[in-house]
Amino acid sequence: MKSPLPVLLVAVAVLLSSSPATADAARGADSSDQALPGSSNAVVNIPGPLRSFMRMAAISQKVAPDEVLPLLGRNVFIEGYEGYQSSRRPTEFLILLHRYVQQARELSNLTDRHGILRVANCEQAKPVLRVLGYRLRPDCGKESTYLETAQPERAFLTIDSGFPLPQLEQALRGGKPFEYEYRGSQVPILFSDREWLASATLDRSNNKDVIDVIVTEPDVARLYWALSRLDPDVTQVLKKSVGIRKLAPLAAVLDFYGTQFRIESGQVLVPGGSEAESSWKDLVGASPADPGEFLERLLAKDRGWLAAYFDALSRLKMSEQKHFTEPQRLRRLYAAFRAPDTSAEAARAVFRPAPGLLLLMTRTQWQADGQPYVPGNLSAWKQIFRQPSDAKVVRDLGKRASHWSTPEQLLEAMFALTRIDSRDTPLQTYLLLSEVDGGRSRQQRLSPDTVQMLARKIARFSDQYLIFCEFPELNDLSISHFLTSAEALDKIPDHVLRGNAMGIFQAQVGIWQIFARQGQIPAAKLNDSWQSTVRPFARIGSAAQLFDVGQNSLREMLKVASGRAHLSQDQVFDLLAGPRQTDAEAERIRQEVADRMRAVLDGQRLVSLDTVFGLGDGLEELARGKVSANSLLPAAGELREFEMPRPIFTPGERTEWSGATYNNNHTELQMRTDLTRIIKSPHSAAQLQEARGQLVPFLRDTLVGLNYAYYEPPGAQALHSNPLLVRSHDFAGDTLAGVEKRVWLAADLVGEGSPAGGGAHLVGSLAELPYVLAEVEQDFISPESVQALIWRELVPEFLVDATVPRWWNVSRNELHAIALHQRAGEELLSAAQNDADLANKVLSILSQRMIPLAFERLQESLATKRVEEILPKITPADTFYLAAEFRRQHPQAVAAVGPAGQELDKISSQYPDEVDWKRLSRDFGVPHPILAQSYRRELLNLKPFPAFQGYSSRLLAESWDSSNLYWARLADEMGYSPASLNRLVPELTRRMVEKIFATEFEDWPAILRALQETGREFRQGKFSSVEMTAASSQH
Amino acid sequence: MRNRWVQLSFVGWSVFFLSMICASAQKDESHIHVVVDMVQLNVAVTDNNGNYVTGLRPQEFVITEDGIQQKLATFAEGNEPTRRLLNLADSNDPAPLGSVPPAATKSLLANDPPATLGSLVAGANVFILFDTSNYMYRGFVFAQDAIAEFVRSLDAADKVAFYSYSRDLSRSARLTSDRSQVIGAVRTTVAGDDAALYNTLLLTVKDASQISGRKVIVVFSNGPDNASMVPPEDVAELAQSTGIPVYMISTREAKIEPISSTVFERMTAATGGKAYFAKNWKDEKRAFASIRDDLGHLYSLSYYPQANPNRGWRTIQVRLVGERLKKYHIRTRNGYRPLPARFTAESAAVPAPESGP
Repeated sequence: MKSPLPVLLVAVAVLLSSSPATADAARGADSSDQALPGSSNAVVNIPGPLRSFMRMAAISQKVAPDEVLPLLGRNVFIEGYEGYQSSRRPTEFLILLHRYVQQARELSNLTDRHGILRVANCEQAKPVLRVLGYRLRPDCGKESTYLETAQPERAFLTIDSGFPLPQLEQALRGGKPFEYEYRGSQVPILFSDREWLASATLDRSNNKDVIDVIVTEPDVARLYWALSRLDPDVTQVLKKSVGIRKLAPLAAVLDFYGTQFRIESGQVLVPGGSEAESSWKDLVGASPADPGEFLERLLAKDRGWLAAYFDALSRLKMSEQKHFTEPQRLRRLYAAFRAPDTSAEAARAVFRPAPGLLLLMTRTQWQADGQPYVPGNLSAWKQIFRQPSDAKVVRDLGKRASHWSTPEQLLEAMFALTRIDSRDTPLQTYLLLSEVDGGRSRQQRLSPDTVQMLARKIARFSDQYLIFCEFPELNDLSISHFLTSAEALDKIPDHVLRGNAMGIFQAQVGIWQIFARQGQIPAAKLNDSWQSTVRPFARIGSAAQLFDVGQNSLREMLKVASGRAHLSQDQVFDLLAGPRQTDAEAERIRQEVADRMRAVLDGQRLVSLDTVFGLGDGLEELARGKVSANSLLPAAGELREFEMPRPIFTPGERTEWSGATYNNNHTELQMRTDLTRIIKSPHSAAQLQEARGQLVPFLRDTLVGLNYAYYEPPGAQALHSNPLLVRSHDFAGDTLAGVEKRVWLAADLVGEGSPAGGGAHLVGSLAELPYVLAEVEQDFISPESVQALIWRELVPEFLVDATVPRWWNVSRNELHAIALHQRAGEELLSAAQNDADLANKVLSILSQRMIPLAFERLQESLATKRVEEILPKITPADTFYLAAEFRRQHPQAVAAVGPAGQELDKISSQYPDEVDWKRLSRDFGVPHPILAQSYRRELLNLKPFPAFQGYSSRLLAESWDSSNLYWARLADEMGYSPASLNRLVPELTRRMVEKIFATEFEDWPAILRALQETGREFRQGKFSSVEMTAASSQH
Repeated sequence: MRNRWVQLSFVGWSVFFLSMICASAQKDESHIHVVVDMVQLNVAVTDNNGNYVTGLRPQEFVITEDGIQQKLATFAEGNEPTRRLLNLADSNDPAPLGSVPPAATKSLLANDPPATLGSLVAGANVFILFDTSNYMYRGFVFAQDAIAEFVRSLDAADKVAFYSYSRDLSRSARLTSDRSQVIGAVRTTVAGDDAALYNTLLLTVKDASQISGRKVIVVFSNGPDNASMVPPEDVAELAQSTGIPVYMISTREAKIEPISSTVFERMTAATGGKAYFAKNWKDEKRAFASIRDDLGHLYSLSYYPQANPNRGWRTIQVRLVGERLKKYHIRTRNGYRPLPARFTAESAAVPAPESGP
């Protein structure tokens, strides 16, 4: 959501109030959509049209009226003030909002008794235009009449709030009357006006209603926002037992950690259930049976850290909660969590701290004996904790580590580390290695030595380990070979050779990953092919040798994947596009995918592999006298065809203005390469052999280009328009000072917004290429709604969900099963409103996935038999999970509920392998590179993650797994083949992103809305598959 | 969302049959297939005082591409209908030359009804790109006034599109002949956020390149770019290669910012457009008037490139023949890069679903 100008400051009093003149004319807001928690049917009047107010308050136009005040509260405390506590000042956003309300009130005073702003003639226009900040030119009532700015401040508000100025101008030009409904708008309030007015702590004299209080008191604004997102029972208890005024200081904690609170039968539901109640009573100092006191103490305890702990545990499934809430463990882990810094506050920052806590709880693996799983063994971890660290907490834990005798103690240490705001502690090692090891069979567990080796090298190579999570088949030896080669490359003294070697090495690994993921490398050959790909890179002494290694390693890989080592570049594209399809339609789609990749390499103007390898082989044959020099000249000439884009800046200007981001040494070196000279001039065989080394930069770029092309995000432009994007990829950290330590990690995006810098490019490895490319390309997608934004916290992940998965090996039955699960889930919900027993079963399952407020709304809709209204607000992943879990728990019952359930039962019994959960999860899940540290696809079935500080904002997006399930259902119901998903999903995802109109990035309903709108338009034929294909080709 | 392919329909420029010809045959599968459209040039001819020189005839222009002389295929001056040139020898007589001082045009713009002015640019497809980033905050409404006036004055022009940008592009009004729709879009823009001028200009050039006929892009920006992924060079090249002049109007503040002013001046010059740095909002209006003036006096020339083995940048030179014309100045794009076109929409078209829902 684009907020108007959060940058400028003016310290003014900001006071809003409703207009008495419009109060009686106010229309009733449509609040039937969703009852606000704790609603008392009270309303407040907002002057002017609601849509104008929402524009000025940076609230999505698509929200329901009852969401307006909560979102106003949210935007006021997030965007309305700068500074902290006493130094707080209103931002330009708030100042403009205030000015707008004043203007709206003035316009309201000009309306008739029906709330209509009428301008019958030029004379009547004058007062209206004065308020709007415009004047008429040259004369009123003529064809040449137009409006121009008279008072810029007012005119700005007029435009920004969406006043229909063109219509007024048109009416004045034609001498026609202008009418505009300018009624105030009523929106529901939580509690009552009076109660909020009483809650104000600052000067109350100018407060007229709840809006005044929200806008002038950010703590109250935050409290309003927080309370509106709670389970309504909790809201009522807090109001009654604690009161609004006493809650205001706890608003931040409540905002961050209150959404999981639930009260049932007069008792707070605590993580771990009834068995854990006494432990919670001890920790909190109040009984869950006394909800008011319990919650108040919980919020206030330990500066919010106990609430943070409670919140994280509440987000786990009950089975996971049980592990952590064993009485002794619950207390010990909390003590460990709290210890590192008892003076810090848990809710001071804008985003939640300690993302590692929820991540650790979510991903901890347990052994059969109830102990936490330890990758390697405890001894290995004692060594790991002895490694030098900048963090005192780590050093202190390291001292104690030698006394550890149980995995429990290691887990406690990990809980302590969740408080450290760093990605470089043993916690990250533990999380990563747990993922690497967790997917392995018992026989293939990592050895303690490998665990220690990986831990020692984690700071440099951690992002490279994602591939070991994705392919647990890779054994200790394969891992060891990779690290040996990578470290050997690091030691190449010549930085040009090093950069080329690192690029070729990683590009080959990337291609291997694609072939392995697509099933083109048989499982039995994964280790051998991996080792033959990476091992030769351990001994690179010259460019010529690197060329040979690169060529041979690629050919080895191609041989495993296709049966043939010598393939043309077109055939390599063909192979990368996916396994050949027997169905003609599917095969045509596969060719489209290959063509899209070819278009990227064309856009990058890269030399083809055929030319590079042809020259390499030709030089060797020339050295042996088997071919004539002239036969090589055309290919050698092709190396010189690339031209830099026509420069706009002089070299001096670049140096001065690019901030050191412009560095195209690699490309310039390529452009100076002239093999024709060597070929034409007298040469020795050794010189010709050595000349093959000059092909290395070209080989690197083309291999890297294949990786870029494979992960092209939908709507990509830079890949097609900036021919330096691939060439500028800096693998060795040559272009930026201080990045040498990060070169094996996910690439950084450099040069964004630097016109003289030659365009954005990547510095670092290819490890997270799909995500980084999505970051590069996301802003080429144009939002459909005025004021909407491309959300950087969410969109790259959504694009990754569409670019990494391929659907070549998916069967019709599988696709149909995805649709049936979702429909069966809806059938279950519909049936549950008439069946109390079924309702209990359904709710019991969904309580593990839904946040309490959504769950409460579902409960209410079941009780009031209004499920049809709530169904569109339930995510596809929820209905999918409901059906799957219900079938698991009650195998015979789902068929009785409806036709989709019956059909699901039928195909499940007929094709058990295809409808198997694991297979559906693998084929229709999404990658979780932060959560599960892998690009493996998986349905994780988690509650939505909240937003955290820093990198962990990606956790939020990774917890969304509805899109591909929904697209699959759409495809199935519209008769598309599974292979069509390879075309449909990227394009539907792009269109969904265009439609997202969210107020904030935790606005999941906005994402769901965009998803459904896209699906609706697709069903209505507003865009077709053919058109989408054509559109995606127009780069 | 509107179907972008609707924009491909012909809009009165039927003479500009954009049949594609292959400039260099595909030698084998490993080579990029280079496809070259008929090359269109918008050429401004001015005297030493900056007055437009009118009345020139086709045979008085010589076009070379990489030094290879080209044959004119079509010719038009200002708002005249485009002529397909079958035989230039038909009219060898020198024509009386005229010159129109910009001042006179300006006076006309200032006083005459828009209909007269609009006729000057009949047939143009004008894409307006408006900066709504934080950098534009102060002059936001005045800029809107200037754009609205510009749009109003384009009555007879073929179509106008209005886009706005900050970090992302908003296609507020797709190409349309409905002025009120465009002005409505101008008046509904929202200010705020980062500025990604070159990203969004790239998208605008790509949209414009899908349209047949004469097209120009007018950018109204305060200059700085802090969010683009592509550099201005790539955008300028694409505009040159697709024959789209870019005009840029900015403020004096942007003039002070050397990076933006350098790009604005050089990019517009390379594409055959012009950059204006307005002191105040009145100057902004004058800049728009000057663009209208320019559009009304451009010669439109086109040619099919002669055989040329160059698959890289091709330099275009336009000059006037004869002693009496040597003194005049020519402004047009200075070259283009043939676009690779291995992957086309046609090759990707596929049938609908296997079965109905």
